[in-house]
Amino acid sequence: MKTLFRILVALPAILFVVMGLRWAVDPSAAAEALGMTLMAGVGLSSQIGDVGSFFLGMGIMMLLGLITAQRSWFQAAALLLALAAAFRALSWLLHGAALTPDMIAVEVVLATVLLLASSRLAEGK
Amino acid sequence: MRLPSRRSVARGAALLLAVISAGMSPVVHAARPNVVLILADDLGFSDIAPYGSEIQTPALSALAQRGIRFTNYHTAASCAPTRGMLLTGVDSHRNGVPNIPETIPPEQAQYPNYRGTLGHNVATVASLLQSAGYHTYMAGKWHLGKSPDLLPFRRGFERTVTMADTGADNWEQKPYLAIYKKANWFADGEEFELPKNFYSSRFLVDKTIEFIASNAGDGQPFFAYIPFQAVHIPVQAPQSFTDKYMDTYKAGWEKLREQRLARAQQLGIIPPGTAMVDMSTTGDWESYTADEQRYHAKRMAVYAGMVDAMDHHIGRLINYLRQTGQYDNTVFIFTSDNGSEASGGDDPRSLAMRIALWQQGYVNDYDTLGLKGSFNTIGPSFASAAASPLDFYKFYAGEGGMRVPLIIAGESIPEGARLTNAFAYVTDITPTILDMTGVSPPSGRFGGRPVESIVGRSLLPLVRGDADRIYSATDTIGYELGGNSALFQGDYKIVLNIPPVGDNEWHLYNIVKDPGETNDLKERMPERFNKMLAHYHQYTVANNVLPLPANYNQAFQGIANGTLDRFGPQILLGLLSLIVLLPFLLLYRSRNR
Repeated sequence: MKTLFRILVALPAILFVVMGLRWAVDPSAAAEALGMTLMAGVGLSSQIGDVGSFFLGMGIMMLLGLITAQRSWFQAAALLLALAAAFRALSWLLHGAALTPDMIAVEVVLATVLLLASSRLAEGK
Repeated sequence: MRLPSRRSVARGAALLLAVISAGMSPVVHAARPNVVLILADDLGFSDIAPYGSEIQTPALSALAQRGIRFTNYHTAASCAPTRGMLLTGVDSHRNGVPNIPETIPPEQAQYPNYRGTLGHNVATVASLLQSAGYHTYMAGKWHLGKSPDLLPFRRGFERTVTMADTGADNWEQKPYLAIYKKANWFADGEEFELPKNFYSSRFLVDKTIEFIASNAGDGQPFFAYIPFQAVHIPVQAPQSFTDKYMDTYKAGWEKLREQRLARAQQLGIIPPGTAMVDMSTTGDWESYTADEQRYHAKRMAVYAGMVDAMDHHIGRLINYLRQTGQYDNTVFIFTSDNGSEASGGDDPRSLAMRIALWQQGYVNDYDTLGLKGSFNTIGPSFASAAASPLDFYKFYAGEGGMRVPLIIAGESIPEGARLTNAFAYVTDITPTILDMTGVSPPSGRFGGRPVESIVGRSLLPLVRGDADRIYSATDTIGYELGGNSALFQGDYKIVLNIPPVGDNEWHLYNIVKDPGETNDLKERMPERFNKMLAHYHQYTVANNVLPLPANYNQAFQGIANGTLDRFGPQILLGLLSLIVLLPFLLLYRSRNR
């Protein structure tokens, strides 16, 4: 079971690291993958800085959780993902954004996996 | 005293009125000619009827009847360097385009004059004409840079529809090489989507007519630049044009090369008794099976159809100008950007080739050859025939790569249907246009910044019949492109062609008596050879010609540059990801050991 959890955490962690780095290397493609258009000026700075660090930071936290077996790393990543899902829902409810149930579902499921991993993989610590 | 008749009085009054009205007319531009500059792509020396071709090109033949054909005109042997020199009159090593950017090695690309894009240190003929009150239009291939500040819309063209790459599909908006993510078309500086019923030659002439019509009658003359995609690969043509030539090439490329040699001699394009060589890349037609011969004959039929279609659409433009009363005041300049293109090999149906084409979304089966979704080439053997009777083809400094047709025509040109054997060079086109239109060349500065001086010379004295030659027997014109090198002086040329087709050795030819470059005079005229070689070295120093890195291979460099350009971010992302993830993996393994 522990191996399964490690795989379930490691694969998205690697994906998030790559997604984060992509904002630094090829921002137009990274933006396109998330349904955004690439901005200019301050907007571009925020896009690359904030979105890139979100993905890269989250991926690194998940990897640190796997290595150190400290539950706070998993919990921090789960918190970020759960908030992302909540803000997506709010953007649809309050601001007329498109409803993205597939993305919300992935974020909720992954946050749940991370919370479970925080108790299973950090057992005995 | 005899009084003048009523008719002669009326004539005199009309003449006086005409003189007065011409002198007082507020539309001073009306007398200046319109200029249509037509550039074919990869068209060989003998690919049009006025130069000995069997391909039917009635519009170009009619232009040749109303103008002057240059039989000793030279251009660069590759696309972008020609376009840079054509539009500026400045040597390619000074205008930023000494080679196509796709094949410039990184050792050279770090220098400003080796970026492969048209520098801002030169003024285009369009900029100069625009500032002199001309409308300036462009419809066609640019290939001198695709960032917003480098597109033709920012280089003096008032209205544009342009394809920025080395080439693209002729039937749809589709890249023809894997190095491009898409075919980069722009209209007036903005990204542009081609219409569904697109065929390149028809579309480009339609847009040119649209541009001209949009300002017709406002009294300002126009300059229209039409760099066709024809006949660059993929060689594609409407079926009705291809059908005309289905039986034309059944005798093969060797026969075609001989037929064109004979016709070019009859027309006076080349001197009687001109010899020619068989290129090492030319296959033995008889060694091919009947099925293979049938396939190759159709490859060339599609090529002929593409040339024919281009001519047809040039004819439509000429008819439009006639119908709107603008023809008589228009000068036409027709030429090609380099010699015939040999890519595609003589075994295009090999498994490897078909897989490569399939990956790009193309097929090359016999039935649909040349149609939408089909990728056609003519290969080195027919390319040599297309350059008949010259040696070599595109990319090489042999005459087959550099000598191409040039026709300057119009109702205003005296004594139509003339031939000139005087040497002319691609940098001469811009000063010729400026001379025709009465526009001054830039003198050190243009648009608020310093610019290179034009090195070409006006061909107008030749066009008017006032001179027999523009360059004297002592003038020298140097040339270098990707290691292929030449220097012209009087009737002579020294030339070096690099492998794989060239031997990397210098040779000396009299290209007036021996345009086929069959008789090397290096041993018989050592003094001339050494002097010309010294002039060539002076040219390389004066123009900052950079040496090629050791083991430079144009094809490999093209693949390397293309891969980096197309997949560079992905490669970098992969490397960065590896660098970030590797420490985590090592830490994880050490902790779980």
